[in-house]
Formats: sequence, structure tokens, C-alpha cells
Amino acid sequence: MTHVHIGGGQGFWGDSDDAAVHMVHREDLDYLACDYLAELTLSIMQRQRMKNPAAGYARDFIGLMAQIAAEAKRKGTRVLSDAGGMNITGCVDALAATAGRLGLHGYCIGYVLGDDVLAALPGMQADGIDLANLDDGRDFGDIADKVVNANVYYGHEPIVTCLEQGADVVVTGRATDSALFLAPLVHSFGWAPDDWDNLARGIMAGHLLECGGQGAGGNFDYDWRAVPDMANLGFPIAELTESSFHITKARDCGGLISVQSVKEQFLYEVHDPAAYITPDVTVDISQATLTQAGDNRVEVGGIKGKPRPDRLKLNIGYHAGYRVVTYLSFAWPDAYEKAQAAAEILLQKLAKKGLKYRDCLISYVGLNALHLGVADMSPERLRDQNEVILRLALLTDEKAEAEKIIPEIAPLQLNGPPGASFFGGRAKAQEVIGLWPTLIPRGAVQLTPHLQKVD
Amino acid sequence: MRQIRLHDIAHGRSGDKGDTSNVCVYARRPEDYELIRRLVTVERVKAHFGDMVRGDIVRYEVPSLGGFNFVMHHALGGGATHSLRLDTLGKSMGSAFMRMVLEVEDD
Repeated sequence: MTHVHIGGGQGFWGDSDDAAVHMVHREDLDYLACDYLAELTLSIMQRQRMKNPAAGYARDFIGLMAQIAAEAKRKGTRVLSDAGGMNITGCVDALAATAGRLGLHGYCIGYVLGDDVLAALPGMQADGIDLANLDDGRDFGDIADKVVNANVYYGHEPIVTCLEQGADVVVTGRATDSALFLAPLVHSFGWAPDDWDNLARGIMAGHLLECGGQGAGGNFDYDWRAVPDMANLGFPIAELTESSFHITKARDCGGLISVQSVKEQFLYEVHDPAAYITPDVTVDISQATLTQAGDNRVEVGGIKGKPRPDRLKLNIGYHAGYRVVTYLSFAWPDAYEKAQAAAEILLQKLAKKGLKYRDCLISYVGLNALHLGVADMSPERLRDQNEVILRLALLTDEKAEAEKIIPEIAPLQLNGPPGASFFGGRAKAQEVIGLWPTLIPRGAVQLTPHLQKVD
Repeated sequence: MRQIRLHDIAHGRSGDKGDTSNVCVYARRPEDYELIRRLVTVERVKAHFGDMVRGDIVRYEVPSLGGFNFVMHHALGGGATHSLRLDTLGKSMGSAFMRMVLEVEDD
């Protein structure tokens, strides 16, 4: 019986390499998939690429591959990643150079192009695709002149083609996180494109692995103190056969695979559990079951699939203004009252000078900056604080407006309530990027698999 | 009657998609699933979050896992970098949810 082991090597761009390096060396994985892209990541990468044409992908992946490519090749562990971001060929070239330095002659790099449809937007509109906002129906005309990037979420097929052609590693842009995991399972088991139940199992394997440590005892609300050795946290591994599906982790590392730890990841960022929509399949986990099947081993069952949607999700990043965030610290006595007064003084100054902003949020770090209206701000809680950090966040339409506000903040250190001090340095005008989700027909996108061999 | 926090009988995690936050809520003990189903209604969650959540809230039941998925729209102050919040991705929406005070029968 075919038995496939696949590891989740990264949870986000900036995650630790440690667990991926450990599992590749300690276990005999068939595949390792590494997700670097969150919703906003591509917009950030597009901005990086505009400043430097060689940038725009997750360079961290090259650093990881330098540590694991030779061992992975020796063991036959094939690697998949969306690290290509907004510069897939740049990522492939860097990877080829690294493989060359490691002496991996004949190393085969597959990659998929076509998710970046920025240049195709006018043509889509000419073809009658309205690009209306999926969440609120707004007209695309509202942001048409402010677009930063436009990338379509796609599924497993072109990644499978790369694997069929012998790729040791496959680099993508905006494939869905879960497609990176489904593709090798489809390749190994030969699942048909309409084998909805199996495709759904593969998607859930990806869903439980794509956030790395968060699927193995990281960010664990149930009982975080009970997670062993978090300094050596392992990341999850999925083991699938035609009839079984287990989540586990590598030997000799920390972390926890329990029913509760898997549960917390199970519905993470899912909306309707009976219709979790992906480009590959509509997943139904409303009857799913989780069973402890051994030490750090959970069996997943009851997953069903329904036909995939006709349209693909396109996420358009657009320029949406500027943000100024600043922190001022105050100490006992009356720390909270002083912080409150400082915020009041600043807003009075801005009003008097007619400085414009679209929105403003005042909060107090340590008191209510996270839980906002739900935080306990009773007089007993606020009395006699050791220290309070005022956080002021403002949104402006124009950069010039933000830059006029910034110089009004620093004087509060000497011209306001006593003891104020800058926390985290002088504020900067940061670009705000909004996200515009929309749906487009599958036929509007041309995804092409490619292969490059290292000499 | 006595007061407890939802976190005493439940655990979960929050995630984000744009300006939408989802919080999954699981009963710590199977016998508390019905209690959560009865007390943690959409209306109760709306009242708990007040202004923090400006859109619709939907509750999905997943009895086979002993839990619920709450999907809260316009819940992250605009979402992504639009949000002026410290926690733009709503990583702490789960714990904010778990602060909810519930009135339960004395043991």
C-alpha cells in the first residue's frame, strides 16, 4: 500500500527553519512543503520588487534550502514552496545557484508562472469580468488607479505536472497554501480530478500543516503550559494511505500532537465548515472526527468533498493611504491619566492646525490595545498603574498629511504631562495596502509549469 | 447561579481573512458542548464585542468535534494594514472571545 509522509516546513515568511531542518534530517519524508505567503505578503513583495528588480520573493527559502537540499535529494524528499512570491524566476535562479554550490548536478527545479495577472486586468474588464469586490460588491472603478498587485489563487494541477516531469523542488507564486500539500498526494496516489473525497482529505492535510508549529502545539490555547520543549518545537507531519490519515511529528523534538492541538488548527481561518472553498474542491469538515491514535499521533476521519467552484479567487492589493503609529510611555503616579491627557492634547493640536486624518485609534498598551472594547477598564484596574504606554494610530489619505502630523508628536515629551518618553522611536508614514478579493472565471488565467535543470 | 468565563469551559483560536475574523470554540469537556450551544449565541457574541465587530456574525456547529465556528464580519478594523489596531490580524480575538462571562448553575 502506498504510504506518503509529508511535512509542513514553514508557517509564514519569517518563520524558523529549525523544525524543517530537523524533520528532513531525522525522518524519511516523501515531501516537504513550505508556505511563506499570507494574504498581504504579495503586496509587500511587489513593493520590494519595484525598489529592486532582483527582490520580491522569500529569500529565507534559499537559506533553508542551503541547509536541506543535499539531504533531501539523497533521501528522495521532494520540496514544494510558494516562496516565489512576486518574482518566481528570481527565486528559481537563486535556488539554482545554491544547488550548484552544493554540487547537486542535474538538480531539477520546477516552477509555475501565471498567477500574477496585473497586466491582464484591463483585458479581463474588456471581456466583461467586472472585478467587483467579493465582500461588499463595490465597483472596481473605486480602486482601478491604485492597484499594487493582482494574484489569483490556484490549485494543484500545474504543480502535479512539475512533479510528473521529475522536479526535485517546485516553486510557485500564489498557489493556495493547501495545494502545495495536495499536489504531491495527487501525484503519489493518482487521484482523479473529481475524486472529491480524496481531494478534500489532501486539502485538510495541507490545512493542518500549512501553519507550521501552530499545528503542533504552538499557539495552543487549551493548555500552553503542557506543551513539551517549545524551544525545539517540531512542526506537523501528515501520513496518508488510500484509507487512513494521521497527523504526527518528527522524533526527538518538542511540541504536541493531541486531539485538542489538532482541533484548534482544524477550523482556523475556515468559514462554513460544510463548504470550505478551495480551487481544488469544496471541503466538508462538518462531520469530521479526530481520534488520539498514539503518542503524538491523531487520526483524522469523516472528511467529505464536493465539486470545486467554477471561479477562482483573485486578490488585488491596492494603495489605500498612509498610517502613522506612535507610542509614548508614562510612569507612576497617574500613568493612565497622563497618557490619556497626552492623547487629548495631540488631538487638540491637530484640530487647531487643521491637520487632516481619515481615522484615529487611541489605545493603551498593557491595558486595552489588544482586547479594545472587551478589555477590563474598570477604575480598580486603572488605578495606580506602574506604567502605561499610549498608542496613537492615525490614517491619512495623503503622505503629506501624515508627514505634517508626525512632528506634532515628539514635543509631547516636554510640553505635556510629566515623564513622557518615546517608545520605539519616531513615527514614520507607512503605506497602507488594502485587499480587494474578487472572483474570475478559470479560463481567464493561464498557468504554465516549467522546469530548469542545474548543470 | 455563579459566573464563569467562557475560557473556563472552552478553548479555541482566531484567524483572519481580510476584515473577517473567525474564532473556533471547543468545549473542554464533552458535557459542556450543550451549555455553550445554549449560552454562546450570536446575539450574546454581538453584545460581548459591541463596536469591535461591525458586521454580521454567523455561528456554525460542529458537534463531531465538540465545537463551533464563529465567523465575524467587519471585525478587524478594516483588516490587514487598513486596521489601526495593534493586533491587525486579530490573533487576540480568540482570547477576547474567551473573556465572555457566563451565568451557570451552581455545581
